[in-house]
Amino acid sequence: MTAHPDLTLVVLLFASLSAGTAVLGIGPFVFGRALPLGQIGLANAVAAGMMLGAAYGLLAAGAGLGITAVAAGAALGILFVAGTHTASGTEDLDLNRLDDRSDTYGYQVLLINSLHAASEGIAIGTAMAISQPFGIFMALAIAVHNIPEATVLCAILTGRGVGNAHAAALAVATDVSQVLLAVVVYAIVAAAPGVLPWALGFAVGALVQLTMSELLPQSYRQTRHRSIALVTIVAMGIVVFMRGFAA
Amino acid sequence: MSPVLTVFIYGLVTAIATGFGALPFLFLRQISTRAVASANAIAGGLMLGASFGIVAEGTTFGAWQTLAGGLLGVLFILATQHWLGGYDPDIGNVDRANARRMFLIVIVMTVHSFAEGVAVGVSFGGGATLALAITLAIAVHNVPEGLAISAVLRPRGKTVLACAAWSIFSSLPQPLMAVPAFLFVDAFKQALPYGLGFAAGAMVFMVLEELLPEAYDQARRPLVAIQVSLTLVAMVLFQQYL
Repeated sequence: MTAHPDLTLVVLLFASLSAGTAVLGIGPFVFGRALPLGQIGLANAVAAGMMLGAAYGLLAAGAGLGITAVAAGAALGILFVAGTHTASGTEDLDLNRLDDRSDTYGYQVLLINSLHAASEGIAIGTAMAISQPFGIFMALAIAVHNIPEATVLCAILTGRGVGNAHAAALAVATDVSQVLLAVVVYAIVAAAPGVLPWALGFAVGALVQLTMSELLPQSYRQTRHRSIALVTIVAMGIVVFMRGFAA
Repeated sequence: MSPVLTVFIYGLVTAIATGFGALPFLFLRQISTRAVASANAIAGGLMLGASFGIVAEGTTFGAWQTLAGGLLGVLFILATQHWLGGYDPDIGNVDRANARRMFLIVIVMTVHSFAEGVAVGVSFGGGATLALAITLAIAVHNVPEGLAISAVLRPRGKTVLACAAWSIFSSLPQPLMAVPAFLFVDAFKQALPYGLGFAAGAMVFMVLEELLPEAYDQARRPLVAIQVSLTLVAMVLFQQYL
């Protein structure tokens, strides 16, 4: 439970690695041309399952913390994600519209991806403050999770005529908020450990709400419910299982 | 009173407590499509939250075994669905889809009680002094599980009494499994992580495949999302700190 400010560099390094892996999301487009909707659905399902697994990891790690602060933090995290969706007019937005070329839609998609990444940064910063192995585990889990997420974003961008290199760069750029939030949250919790249960609750609430409002409903529209359920539970199971080695 | 009878009676009390989960539906007269969506979302959140707690307990006994159990749980649901007959959500008729979902939730929650019953029996084996505290905790913990079952049964036309009865039925394996687990703690301790993993796998898969997609079909995405998220977190914290 000890956090040292001089370890901020480690947080910066791993959060950057996590944001940087988004570049791999362009992979399918370098080799093939377009991705069928069903496969985009499965990419969303992988991202959703890993997100739920990460939320589980945080909750399990926070078992000894004060329940009121965790609960209040979680409520804030849920409201933050729901609130930013409403405020930006994206709460009912189809996030994977491949044929909408309007400028507004382009901005909304980039905005929603940046906000999404910010919550993940809070998760990384909080996990780092709990313990370094757990923080590194969280950063790696989010890093892998960023790949299918970037693939979905790249599908939209390349569909709009954006070049592969440019699309990959934009995918990384939307994840930069992750690095910022990870470092800031880590620094705050290191300086004021009393904030930890709040930060942990906030991260859990935000991750669950992102899964339930963006990733899962999106994927259910794209392919069969059974395939989505299977892919999601396998991705979740792997993260939950791997956490055992980092805790 | 013999210790075996004590364990059984305590287990029975926890089972009956599950029936209280049906009570909120006494105050809900009309059931609109939106209410069905909320019921699905809340049941989904409760079951996901319960699974988080179960997995956390299972991994303390063995991570590999919990994982293997989880895999079996998913296969069990797939097999049950296969046995119930193929069904396409787009063309299947509503009555049949409802009957299928009601059957699945009762089966899933009943199966999950077997694992919980073993967990109760094993913890009683650790010393009978904590017995009353454990019983009270499990009894309170069972109420939202009854709520999850009732949330699926009630909108599909079952009476509140029937909801309570099926909720209690789903928890009957608890006293039945608690007794042998209490008597043969060591043997059951080996099996416990498999059972807990099985319960979690079955519940999560059922939520992801049946409850959540239906909820998203029936109500606006942000509303469903916020209901699932709030119930999930509340359930985890409620069961973790009890």
